[in-house]
Amino acid sequence: MDPVLSTVDGLRALVGADCIAERAGKIVVSPRTTEELAAIGRYANSNKLTIEIAGAGTKRGWGNPVGAEIVLKTTGLAGVRHHSWHDLTATVAAGTPWAVMQRALAVHNQQVALDPLWPETATVGGIIATNDSGALRLRYGSLRDLIIGMTIVLADGTIAKSGGKVVKNVAGYDLHKLMTGAFGTLGAIAEVTFRLHPISQHTATFTVSASEVTRLKPLMLAIGASHLLTEGLQLRGTSGGFHLDVQLSADPDSKQAALLRGMTENEGLELESSSNEIGQAREALLAQPDRLILKATMLPTEVPAFALEVNEKGGEFVVQSLGIMYAAFPADELSFKLAEEFRYHIGLRGGTTFLIARPPSASRAETWAFVTEGKLPEAHALMREIKRRFDPNRTLNPGRFLGGI
Amino acid sequence: MLDRSILEALRDAVNAGNAGEPSGLITETNQLQTYECDGLTNFRTVPDAVVLPRSAEQVQAIVRICARHRIPFVARGSGTGLSGGALPAKGGIVISFARMNRILEIDIPNQRVVVEPGVINAHVTEAVAAHGYFYAPDPSSQSVCSIGGNVAENAGGAHCLKYGFTTTHVLGMDVVLPSGELVPFGSAAPDAPGYDLTGVFVGSEGTLGVATKIILRIVKRPETVQVLLAAFDSIHAAAQTVSDIIAAGMLPAALEMMDRLAAMASEAAVHPNYPVCEALLLVELDGPEAEVAAQMVEATELCRKNGAWEVRVAQTADERGLIWKGRKAAFAAVGRISPNYIVQDGVIPRTALPRVLEDVTRMAAEVQLRVANVFHAGDGNLHPLVLYDRAIPGQEEIALDLSERILHLCVDHGGSITGEHGVGKEKQQAMGYMFSEPDLDTMQLVRQAFDPQNLANPDKLFPRPRLCGEKTGPYTPHPLETAGIAEFF
Repeated sequence: MDPVLSTVDGLRALVGADCIAERAGKIVVSPRTTEELAAIGRYANSNKLTIEIAGAGTKRGWGNPVGAEIVLKTTGLAGVRHHSWHDLTATVAAGTPWAVMQRALAVHNQQVALDPLWPETATVGGIIATNDSGALRLRYGSLRDLIIGMTIVLADGTIAKSGGKVVKNVAGYDLHKLMTGAFGTLGAIAEVTFRLHPISQHTATFTVSASEVTRLKPLMLAIGASHLLTEGLQLRGTSGGFHLDVQLSADPDSKQAALLRGMTENEGLELESSSNEIGQAREALLAQPDRLILKATMLPTEVPAFALEVNEKGGEFVVQSLGIMYAAFPADELSFKLAEEFRYHIGLRGGTTFLIARPPSASRAETWAFVTEGKLPEAHALMREIKRRFDPNRTLNPGRFLGGI
Repeated sequence: MLDRSILEALRDAVNAGNAGEPSGLITETNQLQTYECDGLTNFRTVPDAVVLPRSAEQVQAIVRICARHRIPFVARGSGTGLSGGALPAKGGIVISFARMNRILEIDIPNQRVVVEPGVINAHVTEAVAAHGYFYAPDPSSQSVCSIGGNVAENAGGAHCLKYGFTTTHVLGMDVVLPSGELVPFGSAAPDAPGYDLTGVFVGSEGTLGVATKIILRIVKRPETVQVLLAAFDSIHAAAQTVSDIIAAGMLPAALEMMDRLAAMASEAAVHPNYPVCEALLLVELDGPEAEVAAQMVEATELCRKNGAWEVRVAQTADERGLIWKGRKAAFAAVGRISPNYIVQDGVIPRTALPRVLEDVTRMAAEVQLRVANVFHAGDGNLHPLVLYDRAIPGQEEIALDLSERILHLCVDHGGSITGEHGVGKEKQQAMGYMFSEPDLDTMQLVRQAFDPQNLANPDKLFPRPRLCGEKTGPYTPHPLETAGIAEFF
């Protein structure tokens, strides 16, 4: 019997025909419950089949390509399961689009304080698996600070919980931290519990522009070290110049804007009110077609120098939260070389890089997703061993992660 | 006892390169007894040896010896833990970090401090205070507890409602794995590629390896801090105020509550001039001056609305300090009103507070014991103090049983068995109440990946299989153990 047909038969018995489709030689299956998700894993694992886990697929190109027989779509696992607004917590199914969740939480003027990419389509699970974060991270931290519990499904169908529904909890290992940013290689995320924050009542966004990044450096570091209630901080650079976006969230009576204006004028610069959503800059950068795009992380004091380097190499960038840069380079041979050089410099200064978009013309050597071979972190053997314990048959997203995990 | 040749190997490992320094190996029984327990004193085991390394290389050499000879090891900071995390393993050694207490690097522009694990929590803040920064996690023992111990337990404190726990403030570390290999976790920059090993290591209670260097994040000291004290006639009214403050969109730096018994004990011990009431609420707000002033007005109104008959805003730093002194002294102060007590550390969703406290009061009355309550009300972390007298035969068992049932009650309300003290030896069995077998088996996968020989702080954190007929309570050897027929691992 055709192996595809036999797999379809096997899965149909678990989830029903309407949850299975065949696309381009791959079987796409969409479970509706955690138990169905577990049954699919168990089936694939025992039949030596591989699974690619996908939410809405917005970041499917991140990481190394996966050639799995089954695509597991989590979008059927959707909905806010529980919003305990008095306790500032909510439990959400992994396939829920981010914005759908946020709208439900906003009914009680609350939010998960994170501004990920493409919130209208990207799912909660996909955002967690790729550990996405935006400009709000400066104030509220990353997902590791916002997730308090998780239900995961291992490759063999084991359903396991870690953490809980309370903000403060040190019982057991934080498996949810291990899952965050693991690109689905250790297990599939089924449900997650977040700690919530009130939506800021007063926010105001400002932009300071300069033709040289060195002119913005003292202001940027001063804001980071000030008492201003800065919610988001972002440095942007194009061939036309450099811009520092500052989002404040303070009572207008507290005169924070005046304070910021004073700091700006001290540097001989001008503060302009801005109506732009601070998060849109990153989406705009990533929307450009045919670019080599890197995520690079660095210490706050290194930001201006690397901003300048990207600029001088013909690239554009957005840096959020004082150290997470998205840099886009044009798709030509010279730019690839310059991007590799930039990558090398970042590594020398203790930073990290991760390739998130590759133009079709780029060769494999230039597009190794995480780090170049031979530069794997020293803890890589331990990471491999964790993968082996969680998923010995390499059923889930095989090869997608760092160093082919 | 450990073999003489092993002791000699340990001596060489811990003294390598330390010519002229006192030996880093302890084997004298009377000295070893110092290490037989931590802050949880009803479990005691004298280790076979204690080593006091001065460098990561020495730690590696020590752990390699342990790995080769399958000797269990337990890392120890200041020994202030309350769940038996630093309790030695039978037949094992203790690695004390008392001599690895240097602050290695202070990087103010990047808001980072690099420390050795033996550095005292409060010393980090002292080192950066002049620059206007502080290290946010502040367990009550912060003047003596070590960063290494804080990392093991994911220590919290009164201010973690706003600032987060130890895990929020650890950016990376060097870890000696149970094989003896030293590997860096994380990186100086955020989002190091790979699994978040730092995230899973913090709070793993010494069961995954030993940290030898830790990169901490420091926080800008707020422009202003204000503390309000409010007296209520019922826990219910105080709890409602907490909910109202949160619902108003405020995120106080701390929200603490004490019941009549706990407040009375504190008053007797350190005289913070607390009003005599059923529930005392302490609200600390910090941030820019104008912001804090506006929120203080709002918080005061919410206290009044819920029937607070006294609302006092500390006017000076001294007054503020005194209010906090009373709160931080509460555990020890209870010693003045009871010869013995058990500190518990359950967590519940904040909204369940009135109901859970009613149940606790009823359960205590049923067994004729008193329970004093101190809690971090903002995050639902309860510290019920079960008071008893060991001299009365059978009362300790009743107190331990009550204390365990209180934890079960927390779990039944969707909470946790521990908010900041850790599982350790004390709450191993309660883990089985909170987590299912598959949950625990999955956590064990992590353990096995790090420590396949089960040498790092063994027999902690996970529930221990019980032999038939074994009871909970202070550890007493099972008759089968005494007879040498069975052994626990």
